Amino acid sequence: MRATKHPSEATLALHAGGDLGPIARWRTERHLRQCELCQEEVAAFQGVRQMVSDLSAMPEIPWNRLASEMQANIRLGLAAGECVREPQPVMTGLARFSGPRAILALASLTAVVAAGLILQRPTPAPADRMMLQATANGIQVRQGSEVMGMTHDAGIRNVSYTANTQGSIGESFVDPVTGDVTVRSVSW
Amino acid sequence: MSDVVEPGLELLDRQNRFVSEHLRQVFRQIYRIVRNVADAQDLTQETFIKALQRQEQLKDDQKAVQWLLRIATNTAIDFIRRNSRVSFSEIEDYPLSQAESPETLVLRSEHSDYLADGLRLLSPRERAALMLRDVEDLPAEEVARRLDCSKATVRSHIANARNKLKRYVEGRKR
Repeated sequence: MRATKHPSEATLALHAGGDLGPIARWRTERHLRQCELCQEEVAAFQGVRQMVSDLSAMPEIPWNRLASEMQANIRLGLAAGECVREPQPVMTGLARFSGPRAILALASLTAVVAAGLILQRPTPAPADRMMLQATANGIQVRQGSEVMGMTHDAGIRNVSYTANTQGSIGESFVDPVTGDVTVRSVSW
Repeated sequence: MSDVVEPGLELLDRQNRFVSEHLRQVFRQIYRIVRNVADAQDLTQETFIKALQRQEQLKDDQKAVQWLLRIATNTAIDFIRRNSRVSFSEIEDYPLSQAESPETLVLRSEHSDYLADGLRLLSPRERAALMLRDVEDLPAEEVARRLDCSKATVRSHIANARNKLKRYVEGRKR
């Protein structure tokens, strides 16, 4: 006869109460048909179920009296709960900035200040880089220690400047007194 | 001056109706787990207080009952965790049946003590699962809902509980 593996105790315990799924149940039933040992185990589990079901007996309870007692006690319990319940704090002023809010606000502030410092910091121009700068009365192009610029009289207003990447700058303006139009251009 | 607002009559009436409608069901379920009338009474009150404190969640009647019974189960399980004791001492105050003779009551009491000893071997959740399944005769799906866990976990609790009780019975016979 082929030796069969016994189902686990848990499987037999569940089988005794009809708690197995269809496949596990079929497999267990097939085993039980040929195994007296497991049949006895299942019978023992069914005995336990029977014993436990004896606990279904309920004592006699005076429900009406119990209901009114409970309703009063529950009302009291709810009222007591209201008394001890912490009022929800109203967030005003500095109270809004406590705990995680304060940390978040501080972190945001730090990030803004750091970004400002980085953007504010003057970046030293490398010596060989060409730079266009505004002066008090004109513009100039600087490369290292060499400077090329254009100036005009202090009374001249509405001057238009042009510059290109090859190092050429230009200016054009109208003399307010004479009405002469001036257009100038210089190259590096 | 107290700032407690007296609930309106309508609210009070609704609360009383809610308690009356579900009292037996909640009490029975808790009693089956704690096996003591006085404790079951206290825990039933606790369950209703917890539920009514969050009564805005009680709009859907069907869900409200399931939710209430889940609170009841958890309240009973917490109680057993806190006080790992079982008492069957209410027979004098609450006779099982007034028609039973004193001898029958004594035998029943002994049987209850014997069962209570066995139930002490179970974890609170094993005990609750077993009671809901084998005493209340609820399907595993409903037990899972009440215990707020999976069906597989319920099966595991039930198998463990039956195993422990079987060993207890076998040990007592020897």
